[in-house]
Amino acid sequence: MTTIASPASPYVPTRGRLARVLARNGAGYLFLLPWFIGFLGLTAGPALASLYLSFTDFDLLTSPRWIGAANYVRIATADPRFIASMQVTFVYVLLSVPLKLAFALLVAMALNRGMKGLPWYRAIFYLPSLLGTSVAIAVLWRQLFAGNGLVNSFLANFGIEGPSWISNPNYSLYTLVVLSVWQFGSPMIIFLAGLRQIPQDMYEAASLDGASKWRQFWKITLPLLTPVVFFNAVVQTIEAFKAFTPAFIISGGTGGPINSTLFYTLYLYQEAFGFFRMGYASALAWILLVIVALFTAFSFLTARYWVHYDD
Amino acid sequence: MTDIAVTDDVRPNETVGLEKRRAWVSVLLHVLLIGASILMLYPLLWMLSASFRPEEEIFSATSLIPSSVSLEAYPRGWFGLRVDFGTFFWNSFVISILSVIGNVLACSLAAFAFARLKFWGRNFWFAIMLGTLMLPYHVTLIPQYVLFLNLGWVGTMLPLVVPKFLAADAFFIFLMVQFFRGIPRELDEAAMMDGCSAWRIYWRIMLPLSLPVLATAAIFTFIWTWDDFFGPLIYLTDMRTYTVQLGLRSFVDSTGLSDWSGLFAMSMLSLVPVFFFFLFFQRLLIEGIATTGIKR
Amino acid sequence: MTFRINRRGVLAGGAAALSASALGLPGTAFGQETRLRLMWWGSQPRAERTFEVSNLFMEETPGVTIDGETVGWDDYWPRLATQVAGRNAPDIIQMDYRYIFEYARRGALAQLESYVPDTLNVSDFDQAALDGGSVDGSLYGISLGANSSAMMINMAAFEEAGIEIPDNSLTFDEMKRIGEEITKAGKRQNFYGLSDGSRVEPFFENFLRQRGKALYTEDGQLAFDAEDTREWFQLWADMRESKACVPPDMQALDKNQIETGMVSLGHAAVSYAHSNQLVGYQTINKDPIVMHAYPRVAPDAGGGHYRKPSMFFSVSAQCENPEAAAAYISFFVTDPAAAEILDVERGVPESSAVRESLAPKLDETGRAAVEFIGGLGDLAGPLPPPPPLGAGEIDKMLIRVSEEVAFGQHTPQSGAEAFVAEAESILSRG
Repeated sequence: MTTIASPASPYVPTRGRLARVLARNGAGYLFLLPWFIGFLGLTAGPALASLYLSFTDFDLLTSPRWIGAANYVRIATADPRFIASMQVTFVYVLLSVPLKLAFALLVAMALNRGMKGLPWYRAIFYLPSLLGTSVAIAVLWRQLFAGNGLVNSFLANFGIEGPSWISNPNYSLYTLVVLSVWQFGSPMIIFLAGLRQIPQDMYEAASLDGASKWRQFWKITLPLLTPVVFFNAVVQTIEAFKAFTPAFIISGGTGGPINSTLFYTLYLYQEAFGFFRMGYASALAWILLVIVALFTAFSFLTARYWVHYDD
Repeated sequence: MTDIAVTDDVRPNETVGLEKRRAWVSVLLHVLLIGASILMLYPLLWMLSASFRPEEEIFSATSLIPSSVSLEAYPRGWFGLRVDFGTFFWNSFVISILSVIGNVLACSLAAFAFARLKFWGRNFWFAIMLGTLMLPYHVTLIPQYVLFLNLGWVGTMLPLVVPKFLAADAFFIFLMVQFFRGIPRELDEAAMMDGCSAWRIYWRIMLPLSLPVLATAAIFTFIWTWDDFFGPLIYLTDMRTYTVQLGLRSFVDSTGLSDWSGLFAMSMLSLVPVFFFFLFFQRLLIEGIATTGIKR
Repeated sequence: MTFRINRRGVLAGGAAALSASALGLPGTAFGQETRLRLMWWGSQPRAERTFEVSNLFMEETPGVTIDGETVGWDDYWPRLATQVAGRNAPDIIQMDYRYIFEYARRGALAQLESYVPDTLNVSDFDQAALDGGSVDGSLYGISLGANSSAMMINMAAFEEAGIEIPDNSLTFDEMKRIGEEITKAGKRQNFYGLSDGSRVEPFFENFLRQRGKALYTEDGQLAFDAEDTREWFQLWADMRESKACVPPDMQALDKNQIETGMVSLGHAAVSYAHSNQLVGYQTINKDPIVMHAYPRVAPDAGGGHYRKPSMFFSVSAQCENPEAAAAYISFFVTDPAAAEILDVERGVPESSAVRESLAPKLDETGRAAVEFIGGLGDLAGPLPPPPPLGAGEIDKMLIRVSEEVAFGQHTPQSGAEAFVAEAESILSRG
């Protein structure tokens, strides 16, 4: 910055500029300081290390060996399980994210009212998300979706004989989508917090103007909620791409039957820790990062057309 | 609390009918919510019944009612491992509470910078921050482990807690950014006019106005830290430092002999603190109305 | 006697540790004790026994502290891999038959033969037990118990259908008939005679061995061909066809865990597992469970089974005091008091002296496990060649391909060809 040739005195403007630069940027970087320390000290190093490993043959137990882009070439040209896991993951993302968000918003709206017992409802609805990675989920899902499970007993009342949803390769992925929707607690809470942030007087003013509730929802609630909707959409998409535990618990880590629940990160995990190919797994991870980053960038580009900030 | 429709502008002769309709809607809503609650509670009831019932019934029985009830699994589970569950609960509690403090402080600082301050490279750093959300943790695990090992932190709770104080969890920064941006800018502009520093705006205006999102962050941090097992699995080696989740996972071995009812008994107990943490902190979500309902 | 040798070994180890600390390595200084980290998988009952034996060892050998770490099977391997990769491996590592080759060939384990017999007393072990822990001619693991693949049979279900538990002359044809009869008897809901065994690698291996083949050759190639595989898939296709075994969407509930086996879920009278899992099966099953050997491909065929170590203790190559670690392992597998605590929870002990001292104290399931291993007769053959790198992946692949056949995405013929082709490609990748 100091090297910029300037006809004026070489000192004064520079110092003035430095001061101005500091004044303009200092506060921002000061507030970001903890994050910077964490990022540079804890996050960036391991991330770059994994990028390096993606160009190596690394079996965890011996030192990594540089093999250039061979891992990436193999993924692109000779890996049927990569393609299978991509398909599974995309179906999962495209189905589970919209369903989960719609459900979470619906319940959040229903719970955002003056009602008796509301805290308890909220807590109960959050319960499935609390159970997260418990083995109980695996057992429960089998009891619901196996051939002789509760779902089929229910369907039997209507004369429908259902398949064994959870262990049939045609349907097993959908039971994981249902699991994801059932654990809608986190986006629900975020929606609730968003709803709480909408000033009540706006509704009061709108009702005074005779706006119906339907209109209020479209004209007040939804626009003011768009930053939160946007957040939930972006984060849930990222999380769905990275989803690991549901498939790990339900399929016992196999991704079966027949690759039908082979989530991308489950495949990555098998390669890394099951088959001792950490280099290959790292390459898989960076490909996922690029895909997710493209999705996210696209969301941010479209956001300016539908997300309303108060600034 | 305040119900929106109470202030509906209605003519007096319609009020009675409307009230009646509202009562019906309310009843209907309760019925729906209770129905949904049962669906949500089913796993809990199942777990409860599994913790009481004889081991050989757990996987084959389809009914919720155990053939015989025994409380024995609770003390057996509690003292089953060499270190009792009281220690595990305490460890989990300490780690979770420290994480909550760290996350709320550090993430709100970073989020304030991204949401309100102008500085060179803001968008760039924001993109990088989001990028840290996208890499599956399985591949950074080993480099990170080596890093913490060199710092001498492995075997302690530091690798689990310190990153929280350094805002390593981008999810919460992004969450808070979205909420901060929803707070009317006139408020801090007015304060700026009055000569308030960025720090005072952050501390005196932003934080008090963001109680709902801070409560959300606190709730999530507590629950996710409490539920996390992968971090503790890798970094906690001594059983005396184990968290509840690690303790729970020590009950089952899918290839050998397991104590299933002990597992479910302790799983039930492990839900109690998170459930009450949730019940308590969601109050702040509600109190949010009072503060954000500020007249503008 | 054993103890004195142990103590001497530990003293020598202490001296080694001393010189290590002189080199500036962290750890022991004079007067301080040797600390050894021990890690194993298993659940709480195993943890109690292991800690108790460690305490006993520490009483007998002052100056050595054993720090135990335990997690379940699923969590064990990522944790171990991370620690080994971070150069922070536990000193004593519980190893699985499959993984010991992966770890030993990649230099993560210490060679133990130099500690035999002074520190590591395995004089009354079978040669087969020692061979089972050897990789490429060196001893890397001390077997903690003998084991064999086996069928778990729900006795009550057999009785209900009026079928006696067969003896060791059982053939595949008879087994198919039994399966059909149990299914036809229909005494229970959603209940079939057999589990689908086409995905079970040890069962497939047993089948191959009876035909004079094996899974792998000495030099790490496939020791069977597509025709063997086709016959295997066809055999099970016929079982499914005649309803002798469960349909594919039921079998797919099985995640290779005790609690998701068809017997435990109440869907079949016969499951396939390992003999040391009998205790686990019995705990979560109301009906009495008995073990049986796999059927014969022909009345005069045999040699499919083999005694294999259920698990090992290995010493990390990074261990600073391997002598002390070896002393602990020796205590663990030979001390009578330790044996009594350990029971047969990790499998039937390999030391004949320990087996004898343990025999009168065993409970019913424990005795059944011992008798099963001892009573295999001509059904047991020699230890097969060690599995090559990639064998674990082929095991997983068999599950997938057999499911593709069962769900009709492959015929037995095309499934067999796909399996062999993919297995060869995995082996060439290493």
